[in-house]
Amino acid sequence: MKRMVIFLLALFIAIPVFAIDGTQLLKEIDRNLNPESYELYRKLINIEPDGRKKEYVLFTAKKGKDKVAALFLSPASDKGRSTLRLGDNMWLYIPNVGKPVRITSLQSVVGGIFNNADIMQLDYSDEYTVEKIEDLKNQYLLHLKAKTKTVAYDRLKFWADKKTKTPVKIECRTEADMLIKTLYFKEIKDFGGGIIRPSIIETDSPLYKGYKSIIMIAGIKKREFKDEVFTLTFMPKMESLR
Amino acid sequence: MLFIFSLFIFTIHYSLFTIHLLFAEEYKFEASEFEKKPYRIGGYIEFYPVLFGLDKNSSLYKLNFYDRSEGGTTKQYNGNLQLEGSLEKGILRAYVKTFTNYTNSYQTETTKTTVFEGKISIKPTDSFIAEAGKKTLNWGKGYAWNPTAFLDRTKDPNDPELSREGFIVGSLDFTKSLSGPLKTFSFTPVLIPVYFGVNDDFGELDHLNFASKFYFLLYDTDIDLMFLTGGSKTTRYGMDFSRNLASNLEIHGEFSWINDFKKTITDSSGNTSQDRYNAINYLMGLRYLTEKDTTFILEYYHNGTGYNPKEMRDYFTFIDRAYEMYTSKGNRTMLNKAINLASNAYGRMNPAKNYLYLRISQKDPFDILYWTPAVTLITNIDDKSFSLMPEISYTGITNFEFRLRGGPIVGTRGSEYGEKQNDYRIDFRIRYYF
Repeated sequence: MKRMVIFLLALFIAIPVFAIDGTQLLKEIDRNLNPESYELYRKLINIEPDGRKKEYVLFTAKKGKDKVAALFLSPASDKGRSTLRLGDNMWLYIPNVGKPVRITSLQSVVGGIFNNADIMQLDYSDEYTVEKIEDLKNQYLLHLKAKTKTVAYDRLKFWADKKTKTPVKIECRTEADMLIKTLYFKEIKDFGGGIIRPSIIETDSPLYKGYKSIIMIAGIKKREFKDEVFTLTFMPKMESLR
Repeated sequence: MLFIFSLFIFTIHYSLFTIHLLFAEEYKFEASEFEKKPYRIGGYIEFYPVLFGLDKNSSLYKLNFYDRSEGGTTKQYNGNLQLEGSLEKGILRAYVKTFTNYTNSYQTETTKTTVFEGKISIKPTDSFIAEAGKKTLNWGKGYAWNPTAFLDRTKDPNDPELSREGFIVGSLDFTKSLSGPLKTFSFTPVLIPVYFGVNDDFGELDHLNFASKFYFLLYDTDIDLMFLTGGSKTTRYGMDFSRNLASNLEIHGEFSWINDFKKTITDSSGNTSQDRYNAINYLMGLRYLTEKDTTFILEYYHNGTGYNPKEMRDYFTFIDRAYEMYTSKGNRTMLNKAINLASNAYGRMNPAKNYLYLRISQKDPFDILYWTPAVTLITNIDDKSFSLMPEISYTGITNFEFRLRGGPIVGTRGSEYGEKQNDYRIDFRIRYYF
C-alpha cells in the first residue's frame, strides 16, 4: 500500500513535466527574447584575465526564421564590416576587401569567445529540438540537440526561468558532451513594445580560462524588412537601414 | 631585422601599458550614442618599412640595378594614409576613398595621392541601386587570385586584402529574393568608358565597354556568371562558385575564358613574337577551420595567359645577355627591350602558368587573444620556386593593428622566384584606424 502511494505521488509530481510541450516552451522563450523580425543594438565586450577589454558595437537586423544581418558600428578598425546569415549560409563583408566572402559558423569575426553563430543567432527552436525537460524548483532544464550538423553547438543544456520564460544559463556542448562555453543571462529589462528580457549575457569558456565576454543589449524593437536587405548586394549598404 | 622586431615588441608593450592604465571605467551602453549621422569620415594611417635582401646574381636584380651598386640589402620606408568619407541624404549617397602614399627608397622619395573610389549612389528601393563614378567591382571568389575579376586591377597575393584603385564606371544592381532552391538572384550590368583621360590604363582607347554579372544563391551555393565585351579588351566570359560543405569547411572556384588572347613571347636572344589563342584560367580553393582554430586557405590557380617554365627561362637568359652586353660594351639597347618586356608582359604580378597558395593561420594560440601567427606559401608549381612568409599580427589594442613578417624567396636559376630581385624580405606594419 505504502509503495502504491509513493508510486502515485511520484506519478502525480511527474505529470506536469511530461505535460510540458518542449517545442512550444522553446518557441515561447524565443519570442520572449525577441520578436521574429526585429532590429537590435548590441555591445560585445571581450575581457582579458588582467582586466583589459575590447569592445564592439553592432546593429543587427533579423527577419523570419533564417535571415540575420549585422553591421559593425565601432571600433573604427571594424566599422562598416557586415555579416549576413541566410539559414546555414554566412558571409562577411570587409570594406577594404570590397566583396562579401563566405565564412563558416565556427569562425570568429571579432575574436575572443564569440563566434559567428553567436553574433548571428537564429531562434533556438529553429536550430534545436528538445530531447528532454527537467522540472527544477524555479526553472526548467531543457536538453537540446542540434537539428543539423551545420549548427555551431551540437548540444545545449538550457536553464529557463519558469516565471519569465527567459533563459538563465546555457551550456554549449559538443556532440561528445564537451563543454565549449557557458552563457549567463542577467538583468531583465523592459525594452518597450512588450519586450521584457535579459539585457546582459555573460560568457565564459573552459577553452579560454580567465577570459570573459559580455553582450549588452539596447534598443531592441520589432521591425519588418524587405527580403532583399538580406542579400550579398545589400551588405555594403547596411548602414542605410539605420 | 633586430631593430624592427624590438620596435614591434616595444610599441605593443608601451601601448598595452597605456591601455591598462586607462582601464578603470565600468562598461555602459546606450543605443543613442550610436545614432546615425548623415556624414561619415574615417580611414587609417600606417607606417610600413620594408627591408629587402638582394640577390645580386638574379636576372631581375641585373635588370633593376644594372647602373648602380647597392649593398646586400635595401630599405624602403612607406607611410600610407587612407581616407574615406560619405554623405547620405534620402536615397542619395556620395562616397570617396583616397590613398596617399609616401615612399622613401633607394630609387626615389615620392608622395602620391590616388582617388581609389569616388561615386554617387541612388537607392530608390532595397532591391535596386544605381551607381556612377570610380569604384571597385571585386568580382570572383578566390582569396589570392581572381581570374574572373574582369573589371579590377590585379590583386597582390602577398597582401590580398589591400584596397585597390577602381575604374570609372556606371552600374546598376537589381536584386530579387525568392523562396525555393533559388533564394537570391542579382543582375549587375556595368558600362566602362575607355577614352583618353578616362580609364586609359584599362585597355585599348576609344571604346565603351559593357560587362555584366548574374548572381544566384542556388541550393545554398553562390554562383556568378559574368562577361566583358566592347573592344578595350578581348571578349571574356567567367563563372565562379562558393559553398559551405560543413560548419568549418568552405570551397570555391573560378573559371574564365578569354577570347583571342595576345601573348608577347621572347626567345633567349630577345626576338619577340606574338601568340594568339583562347586562354582558359581557373582556380579551385578551400577554407578549412580545425577544432584548434587553425585556418587553412588553399588555392590552386591555372593562369592560361601565363608563361611556361621554358618561356620564363628564355626571358631570364635574355636579361642576362642584355646585362652582359651593357657591362662589356656599354650598350643599353637590349636592356631597354628587356625592361619594356617586363612592364608589358613578364613583369605581371603572376606571369607563370600554375600556382599554389597556402596560408595557415592560428587564432589566439595558447588561448592568448588577438595574436595571430600565420605562414603563407606561394609557389610556382612548374619550376618549384616559392616565397615563404611567416608572420605574426596583433589586434588587441582598439583601432591598432601590428604585423611583422618576413621570409625567403627561393628557387633555382631560371625559375620565377629564383630570379626575383630579392633573396628575402622583412616588413613591419603598424596601422591606426580612426
